[in-house]
Amino acid sequence: MDYNNDERYWNISLLNKWFLIASLLWTVSMIWMFIDDNDDEFKYYQKQYYSILKDKTEEKYNSLYVEVKDIKETLELELENKITKMQGQEELLTLLDDSLITKKNNFAQLSIDFKAKIVEVDVAKYLVEKEKAEHSYNEESITSQNFKKLSLESKILKKQKEDFEISIAYFESKIENLGQDVKNAQSNRDTELARLDLLENQLDKLDRNRMTMSNKVADIVRDLPIVDFLDPRLKIQQTVVHDVKYDVNFATVPTVDRCVSCHMGIEDPLFSNVEQPYTSHPNLDLIGSSSSPHPFNEFGCASCHSGRSRGTSFTSTVHMPSTHAQQEEWEEEYDWEKMHHWLQPMLPAEYSQAGCFKCHTKQPFLEGAEKLQLGISLIQQNGCNACHHIESIPNEYDVGPDLTKVNQKFDKDWAFKWIKNPQSFRYDTKMPHFFNQDNNSSPEMVDRNNAEIFAITEYLYKDKEYETIDNEDEFLGNLENGQKLFNAIGCMGCHNINEEYVEYSPETDEYDFYLSDHGYEEGETSNYNLLDQQGPNLIGLGSKVSAEWLYNWIKNPKNYWEKTRMPNLRLSDNEARDITAYLLSFKNEDFENQQTPNLTSQSFDKDLDEIALGWLNKSFNYVEAQEAFNSMKDENKIIDYVADKSIRYYGCYSCHNMDGYEDAKPIGAELTLVGSKPLDKFDFGHIHDIQHTNFGWMNQKLANPRIFDRSKIVVPEDKSRMPNFYFTQQEIEAITTALLGLTDTKLESSKIADLDKSAQVLSGYKLIRKNNCYGCHQIDGEGGKIADSIKDILPEALQMEHRNYAPPSLYSEGSKVQPEWLFSYLQLPYTIRPNLQVRMPSFDLSDEEWNSIIAAFQDMEDNELSFESDHIVNKNGTKYKHGFELVSDYGYYDPETDEIIDAFNEGSRCYVCHFEGNVPPGKDFDITNPIVWAPNLALSQERLRPEWVKEWLRNPQHYMDYTKMVAPALYNKCPECFDSKLSDSEYDLLRDISDNKENPKWRTGEDIDYRLEAITDWIFSIENDADISNTIKEYFDKNGYKHFEEEEEENWGDDDEEYEDW
Amino acid sequence: MIDLFKEFVNIASEPIISFTALTILFPLLFPPSDWFEKVHYKLGFNYIWTNKGGIAMFILTTIFFILGFTDPYFSIILTKPDNVPIILMIYSMLFVIWYAMKKAYINDSRISNGKKPMEYNDPEDKVLVWPDLVYIEFIALLIFTAFLIVWSIVLAAPLEEPANAAATPNPSKAPWYFLGLQEMLVYFDPWIAGILFPIFIIIGTSAIPYMDINKKGDGYYSFRERRVGIFIFMYGWVALWLYLIVIGTFFRGPNWNFYGPFEWWDPHKLVFLNNVNLSEYIWVFMLGQQTPEGSTMNILLREAPGFILVFGYLFVLPILLSKTWLKNMFLAYGPVRYAFLCTFGLTMLSLPIKMFLRWTINLKYIVYIPEWFFNI
Repeated sequence: MDYNNDERYWNISLLNKWFLIASLLWTVSMIWMFIDDNDDEFKYYQKQYYSILKDKTEEKYNSLYVEVKDIKETLELELENKITKMQGQEELLTLLDDSLITKKNNFAQLSIDFKAKIVEVDVAKYLVEKEKAEHSYNEESITSQNFKKLSLESKILKKQKEDFEISIAYFESKIENLGQDVKNAQSNRDTELARLDLLENQLDKLDRNRMTMSNKVADIVRDLPIVDFLDPRLKIQQTVVHDVKYDVNFATVPTVDRCVSCHMGIEDPLFSNVEQPYTSHPNLDLIGSSSSPHPFNEFGCASCHSGRSRGTSFTSTVHMPSTHAQQEEWEEEYDWEKMHHWLQPMLPAEYSQAGCFKCHTKQPFLEGAEKLQLGISLIQQNGCNACHHIESIPNEYDVGPDLTKVNQKFDKDWAFKWIKNPQSFRYDTKMPHFFNQDNNSSPEMVDRNNAEIFAITEYLYKDKEYETIDNEDEFLGNLENGQKLFNAIGCMGCHNINEEYVEYSPETDEYDFYLSDHGYEEGETSNYNLLDQQGPNLIGLGSKVSAEWLYNWIKNPKNYWEKTRMPNLRLSDNEARDITAYLLSFKNEDFENQQTPNLTSQSFDKDLDEIALGWLNKSFNYVEAQEAFNSMKDENKIIDYVADKSIRYYGCYSCHNMDGYEDAKPIGAELTLVGSKPLDKFDFGHIHDIQHTNFGWMNQKLANPRIFDRSKIVVPEDKSRMPNFYFTQQEIEAITTALLGLTDTKLESSKIADLDKSAQVLSGYKLIRKNNCYGCHQIDGEGGKIADSIKDILPEALQMEHRNYAPPSLYSEGSKVQPEWLFSYLQLPYTIRPNLQVRMPSFDLSDEEWNSIIAAFQDMEDNELSFESDHIVNKNGTKYKHGFELVSDYGYYDPETDEIIDAFNEGSRCYVCHFEGNVPPGKDFDITNPIVWAPNLALSQERLRPEWVKEWLRNPQHYMDYTKMVAPALYNKCPECFDSKLSDSEYDLLRDISDNKENPKWRTGEDIDYRLEAITDWIFSIENDADISNTIKEYFDKNGYKHFEEEEEENWGDDDEEYEDW
Repeated sequence: MIDLFKEFVNIASEPIISFTALTILFPLLFPPSDWFEKVHYKLGFNYIWTNKGGIAMFILTTIFFILGFTDPYFSIILTKPDNVPIILMIYSMLFVIWYAMKKAYINDSRISNGKKPMEYNDPEDKVLVWPDLVYIEFIALLIFTAFLIVWSIVLAAPLEEPANAAATPNPSKAPWYFLGLQEMLVYFDPWIAGILFPIFIIIGTSAIPYMDINKKGDGYYSFRERRVGIFIFMYGWVALWLYLIVIGTFFRGPNWNFYGPFEWWDPHKLVFLNNVNLSEYIWVFMLGQQTPEGSTMNILLREAPGFILVFGYLFVLPILLSKTWLKNMFLAYGPVRYAFLCTFGLTMLSLPIKMFLRWTINLKYIVYIPEWFFNI
């Protein structure tokens, strides 16, 4: 190696070259590092957001500009005019200005003189006072003379000064006035354009093209690395939510939400139809806006949606795809990958309502969270929480009927077939399927299961016999009448009869369904549709029960099943017979013709022995097992043992009351906190093609509960045993939503809803749901499905107003009726609305339960009074008399007799439709049409609350939007009436307020309030029979419900004539 | 074709096969004696330590990793941010060993020809600190910084959320510098694998300069002049440390089961791993009776064969060896050095011995006293 400079060991130019390369590499990597550090994902989205915001603001500006342009032009023109006018008066202005200046100049001189004069006066005064004090005062002395002179001079000067001040003020105001017009015009223009200016300001901040050069530079510099600690435009937006905690196992800290950093438009209604992530939150009135019950700054986002809220990029916030397809999409578009160690991944959009439950655990009804409500209802109605304990959704009742007396109801054959395959009898039964499922369809399992079912059946009939007595005729009546009754008197509030089923194919292939062979219900499940599934679909009864049993059941259900939710319809014997005949007309031939194995002990001996030995060998060693088996065989107790083991294995007692199983343990895993269950605790088995998420597992489990046994080798005693409910995809999604809501998130009590509701009120709400009040009644906008079936049986003319013939809406019931009345009514309902065929059943609840229900209704209205004073009306008082006059027509003038007939028919305006005790409207049963019948007014005194009646009279349609009741006229002109003192215009005004909805003062105001109270007083003073049930019943027993049948001839005209003369 | 190769690799990478192969190959790669050296040259292994050999190794390794990246299962392991440095480790370790051995072989041939080694310089000759020393360092600094920065940008640090006591990761792996020890834990009791061995490793490596009496090979690369020492050290470092790290990184999966690189990490996998203690072998299988239990005397009796074996291996064997095969060494090193050498060396050797005993006769513990938490 030959170096030029022999002091160098290495070739310096080579080293220099490498130094250059190394430095370049280093510089490039540094620059790359800066860029990478500052190139946050959220900044991209924020830039997009600002650009969209700019576009939208510009749009708004432009449209507003167009709107305002005309006005703007007019106003600007006016301004111009004024300015011109003012300019025209320039000469005058100049003159005024000059005069003013002159005046001011003079005034300046004068004021200095005046100030000096005052001082002179004061000095002179002092001297005088000094003299006085020294007792050398003399009126004629020089000092006093001086003083007087000076005072006079000062007075003169003062006057002059004030003159100047007056004239200066005069000139100034004149000048000001000249400019005033301009000022006014300017401020007019400015107010109109204020909105426009505001938008323009906003635009100036957003649109770089509008900025000045220095502002533009600043706008770019503020976001540069390092300098952006000062005031960047693109920055993390963060909310700290103190009340919802993030649990890190050794501490709980407030949640920190940074979601808004990308979702910038979330609170702005302007962004409501933009693409993600800029779009605003749906339903901002409920969630998000500062005036909603869930403002963002108090709740954040993760408290409902879960996820890693402190993340600032798409992947690090753990957005979860809900399907495989979406996952692939995200992997490609966003480089998405799953963050395994974050234990609360975000809820996919379809499950977001699960987030409501952690705070609204006690919530009696979940408006805005219908899917969650549906899930909870399905859980309760299908008895999920009977086998799986859920602390926050406790099991309120037995979903399945009492099995202690089945020998009275159906025979062994029927029982066997039913247990084996319930849907073969009723396609939409709630009872799930234990047999012929994914893990027990092999021939060995079928044999084993048959033996088990046989044993269970034998157990149900142990020491009992099914007797067939040939007394059918005693209990059968008229089929057609029965059909009419069934459709009309209220059975349809809880039951339906529907033999039509459809094929079902799910829309998703994310998980495998084990579909039913017997068809599904038509239509989608919804909270509304569940209302007439409180009781079973009453098909096929002719192939199940005897007439005697059915008759006795519908006469008094509690006789057979003490805890049944079915109320008593107070049917007469004939009614019961007719309905029995109707229901028994539905048969299920396919079910009847099903083959069963020979149901005798001999045919199942071998299988029963095998099953018994299998169970025994599990608990004991083989010697003891054999011993136990032998002793059981000797005593013929094998079948009892197998029955007991099978019942405990399948968990029948969770839904049904059975003798001897009152304390038996439920068979399912506890689901109280399943929403927080770690993913690795879910047994996916060998099913690898579903999503590896908790909701993926739950969905698959609900679609095919036994699927996770696939490819496993399991002995029969250890097989998966959750039965198949044959849910549809939509039901599965709702239930999964509810399950995902069962989390252990730590919350402060300030976030928990309904803490102010007492236990009594909450149990009342639960009872209202449990007894399916919603099935017949609309309560706060929800329910009332029976009206649909009543509509079907009404003649066409009445179908438009069908709700008038259905059970009433219970909106405001808590402030409407007196609680003591309600209590006694609920214990034994009687007729309130005379023209309804549907009747309120007797529910036979305990005092405690009724009190809870009444408390719940009162809670809906924020009424806390349990006891109230009676409303005493002074019949001698003027208010009562005024009320009397308002409700009564003045009589008519009969020219023939030259007399006024029937002056003041008391209450005649009301008694057109309302009953007066037992007296029908129009006073005659023969002329009146039951269609118009309205409740007995004499009932009001003990039933209604006067405050409510007053508001009802003000606007009946507010409380029942379908009601035929007219808002009563609050004026009544007659010579002797208290309105007679009003002038015509006053009277007309009164009439307008009373009748004209467009009138801004419609039915409000002092005068109106007084009148409404007066009418209320009159109503509360009526003395007559309150309970007219017998009269009504007699009438309809005699005449039937003809008004609900299609009429050939319309006899409406006759009735109208009756009222013409009034 | 590729699938067959993958299957072959899966099977061949099992420790039973790969470790045994490595142990057998080792003395042929770093021959500690003349006989081994003859076989070494006959098999042509010396060509590995040439430029062409180096390039060949590099290409083969790279091809293997490229194949790995295309495989769906291996790529998951390879691209895990924790494991990428181990790939780097394999490359750098291979390079470092190859470079040293290449230089050593060049020097060895020069020495055998009577010339001075390559690194020989006239002691009078001096160089300047700047630029000859520091300029190169500076350039290396710049390049290395650039490399680290690029690495940190491209490969995200595997920072995870606060641990959840209810969710243990499976497999739960130690950091790479402890993976060798974690692998040893498969074969040894924790107090040996986690306490004794690390202490011996540390003290042993510190003691090497004191035990070493070979004045040759000092300051220049050479293999022949220090071949025994290099062989022992290489075996301990490559086979018993680096190799175990590689196993622990790439080949251990859920439940610490062994999975070949191209094998799917099946969480359901179950392998027969029932092992028998020495005392059980002696008492139950050979003598046909139950193992003595209960009192201290019985325990000692039960484990007597194990104690004898261990005592014999650690204390009797060196004495025997000093009189026979290692007689020259004993005389050359002196009793103190010899004793230390034997202690460390035999302890180090006990690891592969135990591994083989586990694989062949399913041996669990040589001495097994759970009552006193003492196992070997």
